[in-house]
Amino acid sequence: MASLSYRIRRLPVWPRSLQGQMLLALALALMVAQGISSGLMWRAQHERHLNGMVNALAFRLLGQPAQDGPPDGPPTEARDRRPPPDDGFRLPRRLRLRVERDFAPVPTDHRRHDAEGALHEVLEAQGLPAAQVVVVERALIADPELTDWVARKRAQQAAGDPRRVIVAALRQNDGGWLVARVVVPADEGRILASILLQTLFTYVVLVGATALIVRRIARPLKALTRRVDAFAADRSLDGQLAPQGPEDVQLLIEAHNAMEQRIVSLLDEKDVMLGAIGHDLKTPLAALRVRIEAVDDDAERARMAATIEDITRSLDDILSLARVGRPTDPVESTQLSALVADVVGEYEDMGEDVDLADTERLVLPLRPTWLRRALRNLVSNALRYGARARVSLRRDGRHAVLRVEDDGPGIPEDAIARMMEPFTRLEASRNSATGGAGLGLALARAIAEQHGGNLTLANRRQDGTIVGLTAELRLPLS
Amino acid sequence: MIETTPTRVLLVDDEPALREPLADYLVRQGFVVTQAGTAAEARSRLVEGQGEHRPDIALLDIMMPGEDGLSLCRHLVEARRLPVIFITARGEATDRIVGLEIGADDYVVKPFDPRELVARIRSVLRRAARQPAEPNDAVVYHFEGWSLDPLKRRLTDPEGAGVAISSAEFRLLMAFLDHPRQVLDRDRLLDMVQGREAHLFDRAIDNQISRLRRKIEADSRNPQLVQTVWGGGYMLAAEVRKLPATD
Repeated sequence: MASLSYRIRRLPVWPRSLQGQMLLALALALMVAQGISSGLMWRAQHERHLNGMVNALAFRLLGQPAQDGPPDGPPTEARDRRPPPDDGFRLPRRLRLRVERDFAPVPTDHRRHDAEGALHEVLEAQGLPAAQVVVVERALIADPELTDWVARKRAQQAAGDPRRVIVAALRQNDGGWLVARVVVPADEGRILASILLQTLFTYVVLVGATALIVRRIARPLKALTRRVDAFAADRSLDGQLAPQGPEDVQLLIEAHNAMEQRIVSLLDEKDVMLGAIGHDLKTPLAALRVRIEAVDDDAERARMAATIEDITRSLDDILSLARVGRPTDPVESTQLSALVADVVGEYEDMGEDVDLADTERLVLPLRPTWLRRALRNLVSNALRYGARARVSLRRDGRHAVLRVEDDGPGIPEDAIARMMEPFTRLEASRNSATGGAGLGLALARAIAEQHGGNLTLANRRQDGTIVGLTAELRLPLS
Repeated sequence: MIETTPTRVLLVDDEPALREPLADYLVRQGFVVTQAGTAAEARSRLVEGQGEHRPDIALLDIMMPGEDGLSLCRHLVEARRLPVIFITARGEATDRIVGLEIGADDYVVKPFDPRELVARIRSVLRRAARQPAEPNDAVVYHFEGWSLDPLKRRLTDPEGAGVAISSAEFRLLMAFLDHPRQVLDRDRLLDMVQGREAHLFDRAIDNQISRLRRKIEADSRNPQLVQTVWGGGYMLAAEVRKLPATD
């Protein structure tokens, strides 16, 4: 079952969307239903056709005296009586029922065994038994007896005349044949074609109407999908969908809108809470920072100031990490190369060993404040664990690739993924000699993802030994 | 102390835990400090302190219950022409821009180094003395396709992309933009850009010039915009237009 559905899904025409699958299912169901219905129609038509034919033949055979031999002038009565003007279907009386010495089928004849049986039964019931009944269907022009009539009637369109003549021959006891002829409108193949054509037309109209209905059902779902994507990207209530489509989908859209509202208000609460935390903690920190100026011992005062700075930095990182998903800063088209050079310059000014490799001039839309922060975190990490940092920026296809390399001890392979989780540092003891709360990489990664990019860490090896760590930040160029 | 008469500072913060030690510190640094816990109190102190007790500068907390620091700042700048330094808990760019746009002269982010605050007070007063009471209109400088928005500190290249610049480079560029086609020697430049980031200028000014050139010159080895003048000086070789900020 699984492999079957797998194989079905691999068919190139198998539709993937709800709209396509619903339409395909309905189209198949309609095709089956219409197939059955046109089969029944065909059968009924066929029966009626056969019955009409048999009745007409029986009527001829039972009701009228036969014309004998080849026609030697029309009977006087017949000459006086004008045939109805539109009598295209009716044969001249003398051709309707004849006695012929010999009856030989023409090679193009289509033998109608079904009509023979039926006719035989009818005749027997009416008391006209026959030794042999032969019924054939042939084209008008193929009948040797009708040649003159056809030529007279419709010389110009005889070849294209769709009508057929049904010939029933009864073998008499004297060895002669009683031959009846009936002209029927068209051969059954044409009836079949007309049934098929009707069916096809109905099918196309129905499937078309269904497609419109299914589209109406599926369209709100597609809109909802787009909306979910948009909301995931910007988490703003702008552009909410109005409920539309069938009731179930309307309810789904309403439920989704309510969920968006809840998410947005949760995020708002979070922002307010974080703002309050920031304010409430930073004011006493500021007071502390002012008070330590009263400490006379310079070394002691410097240590206190450094501790306060550490707390502040951790607090900023926590607040930023919580806010990064919902940035208020606008996206600006920015020269990333100049931004990188600027951050490297900051570290140079502080006397740090940061090396800027050749950078390409790359312009992309980003939030400069955030990206600056991500880059600072990466460079600080490199300096903390690897003593020096090399920064490079290059273009790789549709991405800007920003690399920060250090010559430190690297990270054990199994710890690399964990390193980007918040509050993770490599040393097990949380000693703060190396500083920070372990948020730097988590924040850098969150900022990269906020810009649609990613952050990867990899050990750099030379002859199998780790010679340093490379942090690579990839950002999409547009 | 440079000042012959002590500088009067109006300190407005709703948190006594910060306000009082900060006032003590400023007094120890030779300032005369008037404290206020709310904007309303600050206004009444201003009315009392007319004449020779008029404060020279105000330090304002942005987030205060009741009338906030921004509204008080507008009053101080427009009605009393008083220099203002903001004390803010949030260091985000939008807060900074709003503060500077309504006329504050500078800002510090909590927790701040009190020495840095003192340095900024002096720097703001020095600037205020040099260019008295010029309303802080939002203008954007345009030169050779580039533009610089001083409030937002946003430098934009001819293609419209933002170019990051450091505070030192910003002040240097501002000095050039305010004196286009004039030769500025190193001492003059140092004097003009030496503001609150004085420590950044321990390095030679030539170094800052070459960094600025790397950012705005098409070819920094063959500079066209910031030209070196024989005899020791630099000049901005571009026409500068000041246009009102559009947003």
